Amino acid sequence: MALYKLKEFHAPKNMQEAINILGKSQEAEILVLAGGTFLHGLEARGLLSDVEELVDIRKAGLDAIRDDDRGLLIGATVTFSQIQTLPSVQRTPWLAGLSDALAYPPVQIRNTATIGGCVSASCPFFDVPTALLALGATVMVKGGEAGERQLALPDFLAGLFVNSLEPGELVTAVAIPKCPGNGASAFIKLEGNANDLAIVNAAAYLSVDSQKTCTEAYVALGGGVAETAVLSDAARQILIGSKLDAATLQTASEAVTADISPMSDHRASAEYRGAVAKVIVRRTLERAIARLA
Amino acid sequence: MKKMLTLEVNGDVHELAVELDATLLRVLRDQIGLNGPKKGCDSGGCGCCTVHVDGKAVYSCVCYAHSFDGVKVTTAEGLSSGEELHPIQAAFVDAGAVQCGYCTCGMMMAAKQLLDECPRPDEEQIRHGISGNLCRCTGYAKIVDAVKLASERS
Repeated sequence: MALYKLKEFHAPKNMQEAINILGKSQEAEILVLAGGTFLHGLEARGLLSDVEELVDIRKAGLDAIRDDDRGLLIGATVTFSQIQTLPSVQRTPWLAGLSDALAYPPVQIRNTATIGGCVSASCPFFDVPTALLALGATVMVKGGEAGERQLALPDFLAGLFVNSLEPGELVTAVAIPKCPGNGASAFIKLEGNANDLAIVNAAAYLSVDSQKTCTEAYVALGGGVAETAVLSDAARQILIGSKLDAATLQTASEAVTADISPMSDHRASAEYRGAVAKVIVRRTLERAIARLA
Repeated sequence: MKKMLTLEVNGDVHELAVELDATLLRVLRDQIGLNGPKKGCDSGGCGCCTVHVDGKAVYSCVCYAHSFDGVKVTTAEGLSSGEELHPIQAAFVDAGAVQCGYCTCGMMMAAKQLLDECPRPDEEQIRHGISGNLCRCTGYAKIVDAVKLASERS
């Protein structure tokens, strides 16, 4: 890696120190680093050439995990491997989609990549943000003029490699609210090989009442189907109130076309992404349904 | 611009003046002189730079060295004790799991992580365990055999 303008490498020992560094350095081109596994990709695209200061927040005490009745609150620097070991992620159907997504990256990435970093990168080809969208995740932010705020993940993902953080702000945690009742989630990635970014990925969360009527549905897609991972409201509207029969799943899967605008790159054409997105969504819905109690 | 960094590598403590943007791989190879970890894709995709940081396998090519002040690093050189090969190294030799050798050190470090967590993996678990490491020669069959052999012997 070569960051020709880099003048400082900060490793703050607590959150306040990190916020102070970000607050003081607003004139400088400053970048917060967590796992850092994607920085190389950004650097190769020429997006880091102006960076003057790096702030590595891994020792800033943002690695706590709260797992209780309210849901999961995962500190920004918690790694994918650490999330995988949580009993609720391993065992509960409503979080199974997160578990699916975490199983795809190789162990070297799981040991390094963090939940805060993977949302902050705002990369449309990542897997975990798609799973988090379907689970209604919220991003906890501190620092800057606002001091503290919470952003729903769709609002946080502002565009291609662009998040909604203001100067001086950093992500401190990601919250996943507990889903009431009989709910289950799933995630599927279509990939060219075992260590590549997604061609298309999809996540779904569904809940049903005692009559097996769908009471809530979130369908998320990523992998270059838009400039960020997105939720499909069209699919959601079709699924809610239905009996989740095969015909409804097919209609809902086809409806995602209204909410995506796929891109072409060396992995796949826009046309191919648009076609397989429907299939991957249907399979993901089927996988989630199979997990309902 | 350089800054001091302390690393414990294969049991030896090094205090080094390291460029701010240097990767862990660059420090291990160019400053400490270890050539087990290789520079392959240099972008966290091929796995031949795999080392353990505090017992966990990571891609050293995408990690900034200064993120790791004070950690313990193990490279393939640190697996053996003196002239005696580690069971994983011996299994790679006995199974003939090496052709050009460029991926081998990274493969063994990935295998070590797998066997640390799952001492008796089945073939699917082995293939998943080394999914972050590319080999362009062997077709993986003998590497999978080697990991299986190492698991059976331990």
